[in-house]
Amino acid sequence: MFRAIQRFFRERNSGKVAHQRMQVVLMHDRLDITPDVMEALKNDILGVLSRYMDIDQESMSVDLEQGKDYTALISNVHIKRVYRRPMTANP
Amino acid sequence: MAGKSIVVTSGKGGVGKTTTVANIGTALAKKGFRVVLVDADIGLRNLDVVMGVENRIVYNVVDIIEGNCRMEQAMIRDRKLTNLYLIPAAQTREKDAVNPEQMKDLCAQLLESFDYVIMDCPAGIERGFKNAIAGADTAIVVTTPEVSAIRDADRVIGLLESNLLTNIHLIVNRMNYRMLRKGDQMSTEDIVGLLSVPLLGVVPESEEVLVSTNRGVPLVHNRGSHAGTAFQNIAARLDGENIPIESDNHAGLMGKIKRFIWS
Ligand SMILES: Nc1ncnc2c1ncn2[C@@H]1O[C@H](COP(=O)(O)OP(=O)(O)O)[C@@H](O)[C@H]1O
Ligand SMILES: [Mg+2]
Repeated sequence: MFRAIQRFFRERNSGKVAHQRMQVVLMHDRLDITPDVMEALKNDILGVLSRYMDIDQESMSVDLEQGKDYTALISNVHIKRVYRRPMTANP
Repeated sequence: MAGKSIVVTSGKGGVGKTTTVANIGTALAKKGFRVVLVDADIGLRNLDVVMGVENRIVYNVVDIIEGNCRMEQAMIRDRKLTNLYLIPAAQTREKDAVNPEQMKDLCAQLLESFDYVIMDCPAGIERGFKNAIAGADTAIVVTTPEVSAIRDADRVIGLLESNLLTNIHLIVNRMNYRMLRKGDQMSTEDIVGLLSVPLLGVVPESEEVLVSTNRGVPLVHNRGSHAGTAFQNIAARLDGENIPIESDNHAGLMGKIKRFIWS
């Protein structure tokens, strides 16, 4: 009983922490996305978005998120203004 | 029955590959199979001392491949079991003294007269790894419940699959049931969930392992040893027996009773 109370107030069990960290690490390993590739992907997305809207480039984030049975690519970006018409691709 | 060739691998060093090869090889031989263990860790010979036959080595695996001796001349018979043999690694050679094609031929040749050919793989994922897996039809990946070992195991599983070695089994070694109860260790379920390969067995952390390597007598000779029982179960599962994973935790029942009394 005392043990249970002690456990309750302690930090999260390190076994759980390890498990969650490994879920993320292995997913990245398996997708084999290196930080370089991730940066390139981010820049490409930025390029496409900027044709349609004025965005805050600093605010942009791209992450992979692991769900129970899926992997999601989550990107967050702050929009300043949407253009009426898309800009041409390569000016 | 056509023989099986098994490679025991892990990526990370020091997780228990050599211990596993010695014990499941001995356990299978005790069941009556003809077994040969091949130390594929060229340059870092180890299996011979774990098996206790280090002072009987004349020739090694590189000698066979280079044709310096006949195959039988390099095979050392076990001290206790007449149907168990070891082919030692070369100690003073580099890993590139052999190539995967040669290892494949050697395995095929050994399978003509043995039921089980079990290869002890070096750590790493380079040449030595490729040599060790070349002739295998089954892989056993050994990990411990530790982040670095699990990550390396995952990498190795990926490499095995891309080498079309898809018959892969997992052993979790050095399971510390005390740490597990405290919540300070990943559980077997966690690990199997992460790596998603079928589980062959769970070997407890045990001081007996060190004692047995000190003596050069594999644990499975030692009745009543917890880790030895786990290795015996693993060997039986390889042979197709259906033994529940829970029985690998030999101390499980006694432990539960003790904990019940003390809690
Ligand atoms: N279940 C276990 N409990 C305690 N010690 C172990 C266990 N398995 C392996 N060891 C120890 O870990 C060390 C590395 O084991 P070894 O089999 O040589 O690993 P590898 O071949 O993967 O490098 C050895 O000192 C061995 O005695
Ligand atoms: Mg070894």
